[in-house]
Amino acid sequence: MRDEDFLLLKNLFFNLRISDKEEEHFKSLWCTKYFKQNDLKTEAGSIERNFYLVLEGVQAIYVLNEKGEKVVLGFSYTGSPSGVFDSFVSGEPSKIFLEALKPSRLLAISKSDSLDLFKNDPSFYQWGHHFFQEVLFGRLSREVELLTLTAEQRYISFMQRCPDELKVIPQKYLASYLNMKPETFSRLRASTVY
Amino acid sequence: MAKLILTPENQIQRLNTIFNSVEQLRDLPLVQLKKRFNPKTWSVLEVILHLNIAYGHYHTKFEEIIPNLSSIDVEQKKFKCRAWQKFVIEGQRPKNNVRKWKMKTLKRFEPIIDLEHVDDKKANEIIDSFFALYGHLKETIVTSRGKNVTKIKFASAIGPIVNFYLPESFEFLICHLERHTVQISEILKQVEK
Repeated sequence: MRDEDFLLLKNLFFNLRISDKEEEHFKSLWCTKYFKQNDLKTEAGSIERNFYLVLEGVQAIYVLNEKGEKVVLGFSYTGSPSGVFDSFVSGEPSKIFLEALKPSRLLAISKSDSLDLFKNDPSFYQWGHHFFQEVLFGRLSREVELLTLTAEQRYISFMQRCPDELKVIPQKYLASYLNMKPETFSRLRASTVY
Repeated sequence: MAKLILTPENQIQRLNTIFNSVEQLRDLPLVQLKKRFNPKTWSVLEVILHLNIAYGHYHTKFEEIIPNLSSIDVEQKKFKCRAWQKFVIEGQRPKNNVRKWKMKTLKRFEPIIDLEHVDDKKANEIIDSFFALYGHLKETIVTSRGKNVTKIKFASAIGPIVNFYLPESFEFLICHLERHTVQISEILKQVEK
């Protein structure tokens, strides 16, 4: 594993207190996976086998609506965790797709290895508690935004907080995430300062 | 008539759902898989065998066609199914878990198997073949996401009276699978009575 990749990993698992030997073991559980643009990392109807940390690239998670259109639920990008977490935890087939929107490089850990970590080290358990708390707060905050803000307010709020690498993905994904038509997104992009 | 828009993601999702339900058949006792509700109907294993036979034509065609399709860098555009092809596809698609039109199977697609001599090993081989063949279908759908699928048409397994572009053929095959998945549920319900 490259040093800079391990730095990102340590940044994600910010609270770990492990010895050098344990650190080597921890590193050995992760493998690097590469995805081309538009590759499906996880398909709806299949079980998520890995938890990922993004080293490079942008990915979208989405479901399909009745018309077969992609409804984007979220993105992952450099430094952020990635995967279909509900399927990873439950072991049930996912209803969600995870697709690489840009060529992507990710670190992956399997479910059995991650369970071993949680079982054997309380600091992983604490990390897991913190992680799923953050996921829950993030989803609640997004739900509030979707239900209470106007399209323009949602656009501004998103653009102010999203990293630059997200701003260059196809507009239709951003529009879908913000629950607006691509035409509306395009108009806001041309006319709104954030 | 409403448009039928075909997307590879929708097809992959439905194919995975079918795979999950066929995988569960491995847990059933052999006697349930072999049992016919009446002498004129198929057992579960015969249905799977029929599906395996039905894919043969498409396996060959996909192997021929895929290398000849040009690659695309951008995401595939939505594919609108043509009217006649839509009619043929909708004839296969079950509605609310009911097979609409029951139809006679062409002789060459009929499963021929001596059920009395089928043991666990043979039953597993039939199911393994199913996964190998329809795994190929899934692989083809995934590959087609990066290809221009609007250039090559080919004759379906029932002849040139129906020709398909790749997405139409995928949809036809998946609806055919869904139809027979419903049939398998019906057989199992009858057998369990």
